Amino acid sequence: MVAPARNATTASDIVVELSGVYKTFYQRQRSEKLSDIFRNLIRPQIREVHALQNISLRIHRGEIVAYAGPNGAGKSTTVKLLSSVLAPDQGTICVLGLDPWRDRRRYVNKIGVVFGQRTELWWDHPVASSFEWKRVVWDIPDERYQRMLAILKELLGLNEFFNSLARELSLGQKMRADLGLALIHEPEILFLDEPTIGLDVLAKRNVLQFIKDLNQRKNVTIMVTSHDMSDLEELAGRIVMIDKGKIAYDGDFGRLRSEFADRRRLVIETSAPLPPKLTGAKFIESQGIRHEYVFDASHVKIAALLEEASVQTQILDVETHRAPIDEVIADIYEKWQKDKATHP
Amino acid sequence: MTRSLKLFLTFLLTDTIFNITAITATLLLAERFNGIGMWSKFQVVFLVGYATLTEGLLEMFFGYNILFMSRRLGRGQLDHILVQPQSIWLAFFTEGFNPFTASGSVLIGLLLIIWSSIELHLHISFLWICFALLNVVASMSVVLFFCFCWSSLAFWAPRAAEEITTPLMRIFRSLDAFPFDGLSFLLLSGVTVIVPVAFVAWYPSRYLLGLDTSILNAMLTPLVALGISILALFVFKKGLEHYGRTGSQRYDSLGHRG
Repeated sequence: MVAPARNATTASDIVVELSGVYKTFYQRQRSEKLSDIFRNLIRPQIREVHALQNISLRIHRGEIVAYAGPNGAGKSTTVKLLSSVLAPDQGTICVLGLDPWRDRRRYVNKIGVVFGQRTELWWDHPVASSFEWKRVVWDIPDERYQRMLAILKELLGLNEFFNSLARELSLGQKMRADLGLALIHEPEILFLDEPTIGLDVLAKRNVLQFIKDLNQRKNVTIMVTSHDMSDLEELAGRIVMIDKGKIAYDGDFGRLRSEFADRRRLVIETSAPLPPKLTGAKFIESQGIRHEYVFDASHVKIAALLEEASVQTQILDVETHRAPIDEVIADIYEKWQKDKATHP
Repeated sequence: MTRSLKLFLTFLLTDTIFNITAITATLLLAERFNGIGMWSKFQVVFLVGYATLTEGLLEMFFGYNILFMSRRLGRGQLDHILVQPQSIWLAFFTEGFNPFTASGSVLIGLLLIIWSSIELHLHISFLWICFALLNVVASMSVVLFFCFCWSSLAFWAPRAAEEITTPLMRIFRSLDAFPFDGLSFLLLSGVTVIVPVAFVAWYPSRYLLGLDTSILNAMLTPLVALGISILALFVFKKGLEHYGRTGSQRYDSLGHRG
């Protein structure tokens, strides 16, 4: 079955719904001072960390949603709440009509989870044993299991290491096996927490391609977190960004670029090695007679920059392209950090 | 055994040798002094056999991680269980099942029980076998749930309590094969209430050897096991609620699904 376009969904297709979710952690504060050690025994100093504050979010069936934010923003906490590993302090979470924490056993049958830095594989056993274990524990009918196994073996190339011990696999192979394991029971939703972490470019490309194929072929709803923004942009039609436990942006990547800054790069080749000074553009580097700048296209017109440059030197060639999404996001994080410093 | 018969036999042999050496001191004491306290030599052999059997079965069924649940909790590995569509208890018990490990202890325990029973001319009836099985299960439960209880502390103190089961098991293993008759009230309270090591072999053996044939003595270990298991379930439930609120800030894959 071919899935509908990623964003062509209706309200009735909502599969994930978080309403006013709060999650606070309490961290004991410690210092090296002897007096503090004794004082902490009687009255420990506790720091409240508001991991999530009033998070409300809806995800439609068949969507791929990128969930991004700086370190400590609350991404993993959200994934843990949606994976039935944590319970919310306040608010409700409804996924496929179930409460992940209260209906844990029924719920986890319908979802797949991959934590990029952890493995569900049985470490000292062949990969095949982990799949067999999953078949038994998830009570997957044999016909369905064999069908899915054949599909996953083909898509993920599991055959080459299916009978090898999990501990002997490379990072990329392990991730492929973990993805297969998370999908063998045909979950309706897949939560991926940093699925490409530590992978080389080829392994990363394979994993991303697989996730896209899966979404297209099986209409699986996918929520993915990653630090690699270009991965997310390649995968998802929608990005939800959180900062300090609050949703700071929810929309598509195009709007994200234009809303925060339409950051672009300008490369001009001139007759002289000296780079022209351009108002409104930041000089990055020169390589011989090629000079690179970055500017915000929503505020500065490219024509104005070229006119300014042509007054100073002879322009031989011009290239312009959008800045990588990582740079856009880095700008946004930087802006948030500055805001945080101004309004703590 | 499924991977290599040679490996399995080597493991079984070394396990058996190790277990024989572990009980040699007690057996030599019993041999030298023709028993320990009011216990005759073969009664001591029976006691040692019972303790070895209990330890072996514990190791066989729960030795991998389950008996040492504090490690799983302390290392943040409960998350792996929470994403499985089965009860947490079922996951705990089945993932710890390691059928051939510790079969050396089980074998030696059984042999010592049979040998001593023959030498002592014990009257083995169907009822006796039923009580013996009940008490072995109860003895295992006492150790298991006592460790569970303490292991649950790792919900609140994951780092400090990660290895809390290790010293507990050391106490059980070093004391469970000794007869505690003649101990002062204070010391007896220590081995029954503080660390219930007296229920691992001593109390059940007293009944099975006919040293105290009251029904209370026959049922004491199962009753204690029931009490400790209820307490363990309560503490574990509270810990799990705490875990739902706080999660685990630690994660270490060490020992996970080896």
